[in-house]
Amino acid sequence: MKILIIEDEKELVKSMTQFLRQESYVCEVAETATEAGEKILMYDYDCILLDLSLPDGNGLKVLESLKASKKTDGVIIITAKNSLEDRVAGLNLGADDYLSKPFYMPELMARVSAVIRRKRFDGNNTLTFHEITIDLMGKIVTINGKSLELTRKEYDLLLFLVSNKNRVVSKNAIAEHLSGDDAELLDKFDFIYSHMKNLKKKISEAGGMDYIKTVYGLGYKFTS
Amino acid sequence: MYEEVDESLAVQSENFFKHIKTFEYLDDLEMDIGIWDQLSNDITITPTSDHAIERHYSNVSLFDSVEHELKPYRILSTPVEIKGKHYLFAVRMSLVDNDDLVMVLASVQVVIVVLLAVAMLFVNKRLSERLWRPFYHTLNQLKAYELDKSESIQPANTAIVEFNDLNKTVAHLTDRNRKVFLQQKEFIENASHELQTPLAIFQSKLDVLMQNTTLNEDAAATIGELEEATHRMMRLNRNLLLLSKIDNDQFTESSNVDLSVVASRILDNLRSFAEVGGITFNTSLFPVVVNANSTLIEILLSNLFQNAVRYSGNNGVVEVLLANDVLTVSNMGQPLKMISETLFNRFSKEGVSESSTGLGLAIVKRICDFYGYNIRYSYVNGKHVFDVAFRQVEASPVA
Repeated sequence: MKILIIEDEKELVKSMTQFLRQESYVCEVAETATEAGEKILMYDYDCILLDLSLPDGNGLKVLESLKASKKTDGVIIITAKNSLEDRVAGLNLGADDYLSKPFYMPELMARVSAVIRRKRFDGNNTLTFHEITIDLMGKIVTINGKSLELTRKEYDLLLFLVSNKNRVVSKNAIAEHLSGDDAELLDKFDFIYSHMKNLKKKISEAGGMDYIKTVYGLGYKFTS
Repeated sequence: MYEEVDESLAVQSENFFKHIKTFEYLDDLEMDIGIWDQLSNDITITPTSDHAIERHYSNVSLFDSVEHELKPYRILSTPVEIKGKHYLFAVRMSLVDNDDLVMVLASVQVVIVVLLAVAMLFVNKRLSERLWRPFYHTLNQLKAYELDKSESIQPANTAIVEFNDLNKTVAHLTDRNRKVFLQQKEFIENASHELQTPLAIFQSKLDVLMQNTTLNEDAAATIGELEEATHRMMRLNRNLLLLSKIDNDQFTESSNVDLSVVASRILDNLRSFAEVGGITFNTSLFPVVVNANSTLIEILLSNLFQNAVRYSGNNGVVEVLLANDVLTVSNMGQPLKMISETLFNRFSKEGVSESSTGLGLAIVKRICDFYGYNIRYSYVNGKHVFDVAFRQVEASPVA
């Protein structure tokens, strides 16, 4: 699967390619709007990560030309501005998602895979990891065909972990993902720990394997 | 005091003597003098044999048969010799008339003086009012001036050089202060913005580094600690950015927001977090509609609720009451260690809670100030209580 990263911060690009490449993703990079425009015309991408502040102009122009040429590439806007106008303008122009800097790499990963899944399977899709099957439309999880009763948070948690399979995901990244904008609270009680415990218990009770590993000092890893 | 009167008496007597001299050729002058003595009211001239009497003035009181009272008179008594016979000539003058005159004169004087004084005061007052008008105009503007709200001061034009000077200086001073203030505001926003990208790079490197499977436990722990610090930095920066955005009026769009709807949505979201600590919500929400920016309202309510959850002990109860334009959020807890006045200050924290940015309540306060809501904190019966009165003076915020 091909991803185009349009971003002029070299170091950030480096991390993004490193993190995303571990999966079966192929990353290409454009540092300017002009370069991006050329690449978009020549190739098709599954997902485009678009920084709005580029050295040679606003990234929204790239998005406009992309949509003008009737391309269906998924687009995630990435910006340091986090202004409502940009968000609205971007989504109105047909962007699929919006992520403001700074962000966690697992969050980016989850968003990218969500966009790709939507584009690939026309929204009608399931995600399978060994005996675990997640129906993304119905938000139903089944293990060996048996359905699993999960709370909304537990479902979100599982999906996040599966999207980041084989990667170490920090507690903070999980907390930000689950709570959206108000993660301030989550450190007080070991919220993540308790949800993780419940999720593990439910999976094992349904006859699933324990794929959630605790990584000392860092966080969790979903791996077989 | 009697000078005038005495003089007048002396003149009368002199005149009388002068005249009597011209009548000395009359044979029966003695009888004429007798008759004249009877007829004249103010003058008596009586024969006397006493030669020792000298010319003298004296005060006597004589009975006034008309007014039935004694009245003071001044009398000049002079011995006089007419045709070889000695007489005592006495001429008298009422002192009352004289006193009255003095009184009248004095009162007229007083009235004139008073009138003059009043007129002068009046003229003075009017004059200085006109003179100082530009000064007070400027002064009132200065009194009403608020650095974060007012534009520049508009002094009245005046022909008075000093006031013109003053106005120019004041206008210059306020303009400069305002400029510095705006630059400062902008600086905070720009600084926070500029920090976002390096923070993003830092976090991304940590995320990549974490994937390294060859890390030993020490290295992993260090990366975990770095990640924790970065997380705090990111949150701090996000909150600073939010504060400066509010300061820079970037939340101008407003609509009618039903607080009860927003509140119940946020509380639903929080419930799953709170129940991990056994915290329950006791809510009673009635519709309250305000005209405000929905994002800001969401932040305001969510920060208040989060604060209540954060400072509730395990198995605590958070009470939320929304009715009659007032939102009350309370939670059980130990009394504050810090002074409650500093509660809403930026970076004031209760204890050394590492997870708190110390900006949550500052943001709450800023939003309340922005819309003119009145927020109060009190500690009653072991409960921390926050009241927000959503009484808006105007529909839109004072920008």
